[in-house]
Amino acid sequence: MRENAILYGLLVGAQVRAQLQYRASFALQVLGQFLANFVGLVTLFLLFARFDTLAGWSRAEVMFLYGLGCFAFGLSDLAAGGFDRLSVALQTGTFDRVLTRPAGVFLQVLASDFQLRRLGRVAQGAVALMLALATLDVAWTAPRVLVLLSAILSGVGIFVAIWVIGAAITFWTVQTSEVTNVFTYGGEEMVSYPMSIYSDGVRRFFTAVVPLAFVTYLPSLYILDKPDPLGLPPVLRFCSPLAAVGFLLAARGAWALGVRHYQSTGS
Amino acid sequence: MSAGARTEPSCAPSRGSGVRLYWELMRVGFRRTAAYRAAAISGAITNTFFGFLRASVFIALYEGRGVVGGYSLDDALLFAFATQGMVGLVELWSWWRIAETVQSGQIATDLSRPIDYQLAWLAQDYGRALFQLVARSIPPFVVGVALFELALPASPVGWLALLPSLILAIAVSFGWRFCLNLSAFWLVDHRGVAGIANLAALLLSGFLVPLALFPDALRGPLYVLPFSAMVAIPIDVLLGKLRGADLAAALLLQACWAVAMLALGRMMLAVALRKLVIQGG
Repeated sequence: MRENAILYGLLVGAQVRAQLQYRASFALQVLGQFLANFVGLVTLFLLFARFDTLAGWSRAEVMFLYGLGCFAFGLSDLAAGGFDRLSVALQTGTFDRVLTRPAGVFLQVLASDFQLRRLGRVAQGAVALMLALATLDVAWTAPRVLVLLSAILSGVGIFVAIWVIGAAITFWTVQTSEVTNVFTYGGEEMVSYPMSIYSDGVRRFFTAVVPLAFVTYLPSLYILDKPDPLGLPPVLRFCSPLAAVGFLLAARGAWALGVRHYQSTGS
Repeated sequence: MSAGARTEPSCAPSRGSGVRLYWELMRVGFRRTAAYRAAAISGAITNTFFGFLRASVFIALYEGRGVVGGYSLDDALLFAFATQGMVGLVELWSWWRIAETVQSGQIATDLSRPIDYQLAWLAQDYGRALFQLVARSIPPFVVGVALFELALPASPVGWLALLPSLILAIAVSFGWRFCLNLSAFWLVDHRGVAGIANLAALLLSGFLVPLALFPDALRGPLYVLPFSAMVAIPIDVLLGKLRGADLAAALLLQACWAVAMLALGRMMLAVALRKLVIQGG
């Protein structure tokens, strides 16, 4: 475990040093990422200038959901972006090299595409969260802080699991399926709004199968003390870590299956 | 497709074969896009899913409200699915094919061909768009209209006007992307420009939020910018928001922006070529 952490640090550190060599280009890229995500925040401001509530949620409350989702998704993209690039490694045959190295396959793929510019998205989420919290009058108690922190970590875990499952599927499809975008970028968009606005089928699927409801909606019900028109058991508001661990285990299983199925292109 | 159906390229192109050439290039663009069938299908699924997400948000926002900024809930739902249909058509983001040829040097070969460089790309882009229209624009729209039982508002004139409006929207968007791509001549890395360009295109075109819902003071100025010509105008034609003289003026505005954008691209190309040095080897 400790060895893996050191190895991850070394692999990521080398990429960070390389990316910081071209400072102007790097700064522009971070700015570009920040601006590209800025549209989400501007959209909220525009919509709430015309409509003052969304299903009983105020602008600041929706911004809280948006910030939380964006922050967690940004961190997962930063930490596990390598899985999104797996299809390239499969097509060019460089995945064979990964298999022959004396280190874990999962760890190598995890650390294979660490792009510091993705901090732009994380920063965007942080700004939205802070804007929301500046307006909202949250009575901060120890359990609320704990639920917020666990929601962020669980959100990262759930999104990482989605990246891993998407990558595992490419062992069969070779090309990254754009359908994965439904769960990654679509997932980020989805958790930006209260779950109660979606139709029953969509909602059930994204609670029980892909546990996106645990990223923002359920913990926010507790933190912001909101009523739940869905009538889900209140205990679920504290279950984000469990959902994340369960989903990560499922992702690990899918990954192991995929690696076992892998056959080199031989070129 | 049989090889015999194609005409052999002649060494001395006559005027008649010029049109024929761009027609063939358009078919190449169509076939090249059609080759990625899985990408088209999954793209259509993704667009439909995003259409549903956006529709859900509008349904929640419009709860207990009638018409907001000239848009009813039905208009907003049509907007949600129609804009998703526009994604593949006008390719608002991450189209960097020309920039990649600048970086790889392939552009040197492309420029040496005895055809108009910009028109050749435009012809291929129309081929690409035609395929996307069938594969990625119509499916999400049809699914949305069927599931929410939406009435199609466009009058016969509106439907007739939609075709030129879409053709012009693609020309404006191509002109815009052509200029952005040529920035690769001056900037080594286009990702910074890409972020700013995406922000402008997504917001100002009325793609994310209908321009009708923007603050009143911004609506007028935004409507005359080239971005509205890519998304907002064709959507408003479809929704039947533009009639009579307004409709004619909107189409004229699109045409002006198409010409202006393409002309700007030609100017940029001329300036870029003055500094282009090709290493022989």
